[in-house]
Amino acid sequence: MKRLTILLSLVVFNPVFAAEDPFETVMTPAFSPITWERLLNAGDEPENWLMYSGTLDAQRYSQLDEINTLNVTEMELKWAYQIPVIDRAETVPLVVDGIMFITEAPSNLVAVDAQTGRQYWRYDHDLPEDLRICCGRNNRGVAILGETLFMSTLDAHLVAIDARTGNVLWDVEVAAYDSGYSKTAAPLIVKDKVVTGIAGGEFGIRGFIDAYNAETGELEWRTYTIPGEGEPGNDTWSGDSWKTGGSATWITGAYDPDLNMIYWGTGNPGPDWNGDVRLGDNLYSDSALALNGDTGELEWYFQFTPHDVHDWDAIQVPILADINYQGQERKVMMWANRNAFFYTIDRETGVFLEGKPFATQTWAQGLDANGRPVRVPGMEPTYEGIMVSPPITGGTNWYSPGYSQQTGLFYVTAFDGEQIFFKRDEDYEEGERFTGGGGRYDQPMDAFHSSIRAINPTTAEIEWEFPILPRSSAGITSTAGGLLFTGSADGYFFALDAATGEELWHISLGRRVHAAPMTYSVEGKQFVTIASGNVVYTFGLKE
Amino acid sequence: MHLISQSRCKQLVTLSLFSLLFINLSAIAEDGGALYNTTYDVNLGERYFERQCSRCHGFDAKGNDETGAPDLTGRLSRASTDVAIFNIIRTGVPNTAMLPVAEAVTDATVWQLVAYINSLRYNPDLVDLDGNSESGARLFTAKGDCDSCHMVNGQGGRLGPDLSRIGETTTPEDLGIAIMGPDEEVAPRWWTLRVTGRDGETREGFRMNEDSFSVRIMDNDSNLWSFRKDQIQSIERIEQSTMPSYEQSLSESEIDDLIAYMFSLRKEI
Repeated sequence: MKRLTILLSLVVFNPVFAAEDPFETVMTPAFSPITWERLLNAGDEPENWLMYSGTLDAQRYSQLDEINTLNVTEMELKWAYQIPVIDRAETVPLVVDGIMFITEAPSNLVAVDAQTGRQYWRYDHDLPEDLRICCGRNNRGVAILGETLFMSTLDAHLVAIDARTGNVLWDVEVAAYDSGYSKTAAPLIVKDKVVTGIAGGEFGIRGFIDAYNAETGELEWRTYTIPGEGEPGNDTWSGDSWKTGGSATWITGAYDPDLNMIYWGTGNPGPDWNGDVRLGDNLYSDSALALNGDTGELEWYFQFTPHDVHDWDAIQVPILADINYQGQERKVMMWANRNAFFYTIDRETGVFLEGKPFATQTWAQGLDANGRPVRVPGMEPTYEGIMVSPPITGGTNWYSPGYSQQTGLFYVTAFDGEQIFFKRDEDYEEGERFTGGGGRYDQPMDAFHSSIRAINPTTAEIEWEFPILPRSSAGITSTAGGLLFTGSADGYFFALDAATGEELWHISLGRRVHAAPMTYSVEGKQFVTIASGNVVYTFGLKE
Repeated sequence: MHLISQSRCKQLVTLSLFSLLFINLSAIAEDGGALYNTTYDVNLGERYFERQCSRCHGFDAKGNDETGAPDLTGRLSRASTDVAIFNIIRTGVPNTAMLPVAEAVTDATVWQLVAYINSLRYNPDLVDLDGNSESGARLFTAKGDCDSCHMVNGQGGRLGPDLSRIGETTTPEDLGIAIMGPDEEVAPRWWTLRVTGRDGETREGFRMNEDSFSVRIMDNDSNLWSFRKDQIQSIERIEQSTMPSYEQSLSESEIDDLIAYMFSLRKEI
């Protein structure tokens, strides 16, 4: 009995015993470490998918063409991986030399064989019970450098994990979760640093973008997305509202190595729907930020929605491309914003080039010569409620758009909807929601429309659209095979002709697609992977 | 932790010699709902709901297909009593996005939230209707001819919604609107679609099911037609009800009777 007591106390009180992973750890096969050089040229090794958006320019365009417009009808299911925790999967896996890394809700990570879906190892992150999360238990993916994976967690930590074994190398607290901070997005590697954002825009946080030393986990720089006292832009917030102004950074950005600029979107100002307590433009909420790749210093900003009162985060993945614009080669950034406008912006300077609505909107008469919206008066939320388009979820949202180097078209999942917006008075309380209102649909969802829309970035005109049932939250990936892969709210995964929008192949996966597809190859065979519901499916051509 | 167990409370009633602490707990469990059910409490509960809960459950508490948060205005699948609702709010639902409210939130606030959630549904015992449900039942099958389209407990037609449990989810006011002005709010399932196939033939029927790539309609003879969207010429959507208005054909008292009957249609527990 005494021995049993000692044993029990060892199990209960010994931190080594207590922390031991209950799963058997199995090592992955060896792979060549992912150097910064390889990440810079990720597009040249299309057999791998080395970061959330595929490449640093975030185009989500793959050079693979084994599966193409002529044979896509021959696609079949190769394997499915069932995520053990029931929730919705928003993950975009990485693939490195035949090994796939999949993040799971709430903040777990698993390594599987990319040819079979069989598990090598898993990492389950311990989470507190009293998380402060806005919109579900999500994790969208990891970053890799060397042999180390980097993952955001819902308790606002950044964790470095050995890609061969799943062992934790370091685990740092980015911010205090009980003050309303959380993390859901895949980090972005820039040189030897892990660049990462923060969520919590509905909890009165002050947003920032961080860079951590990939080796040690030490914070290298932090750039706040709301200027502090005495800094330029702080006067765009009335009173002390800048301290609780949100402007979160909850989706992954992009990087241009030639300009050495990091591009990242910022979220809504807080409280979301009551702007009375934060008069002014509320910089740098709802903006695209260009940061120095070494220091994080702000190079320029472009604010899409000054003084937003509709929760239209600029939380979209920036897509970078060099295009011919009015006879000149221009380095541009393309952005379909939640406010229902599409923008083409010079990414060297932040100068606005083109912009037009890509989804139904009633809040702005248009954009002026600088890209600033010309508002329709009287569209702010009221206590009684006012109908505005787009709704809170926007003309699009965080779901990854795509860009094809073949067609020169930008692709986005668009939603034509409307919602009644309400304003409420609220006081800030640390760790509590701080939103100042909300929204309500007054029609069933089926009364609205969604489409995959292809936009010409030189004119901001819609070239074609493919209607789907509302309200899709799937991302888009295009390939050198002339294909565009995406999903829909009613659980379809499908392929369109990227040039024309013609439907070429579809399959019902049975549950909503909340994630973006990715593609890779192993031993010369191309695969396409998409998460739907709680399952990660991988397709390839029939043998 | 402020968790309250119903079964524990019942045991405490019989074990009256237990400590004062537990007796107090029992009192909270049994009286909490009753203590915080004034209009003022409901309003405060609504206020808290809008702030803390509406992001997932919707500003109108009707749920959200994207977050998976359930509609709270109808039957609650996880809680059938005030105490059960209280416990879910207090402790959350494990392994889901339904997190517990913060420890600092008082029990009084949680009870006010319970009061607000309860206010979203009708307690049939507290509703006093003018009509006579037995007369309404006769109207349903005779003069109203409702059963030619609607089924109740396995008897009736298939063209309209099954009304066997309509009283659980619909208020008497909304039943009145549905009977007198059926076009006011038509659920997408009951829209009419007019589909023209590749052969040029047009068929019309209820929108039984539609997704991004296919659609199924049922015509007036209960034939089900299935189409692939890439194989049809056109599709027209008519967002009106095929049900006639009874405003002219039934008297005011007959409509009251029909409402009383339909409101009585609920699952016996």
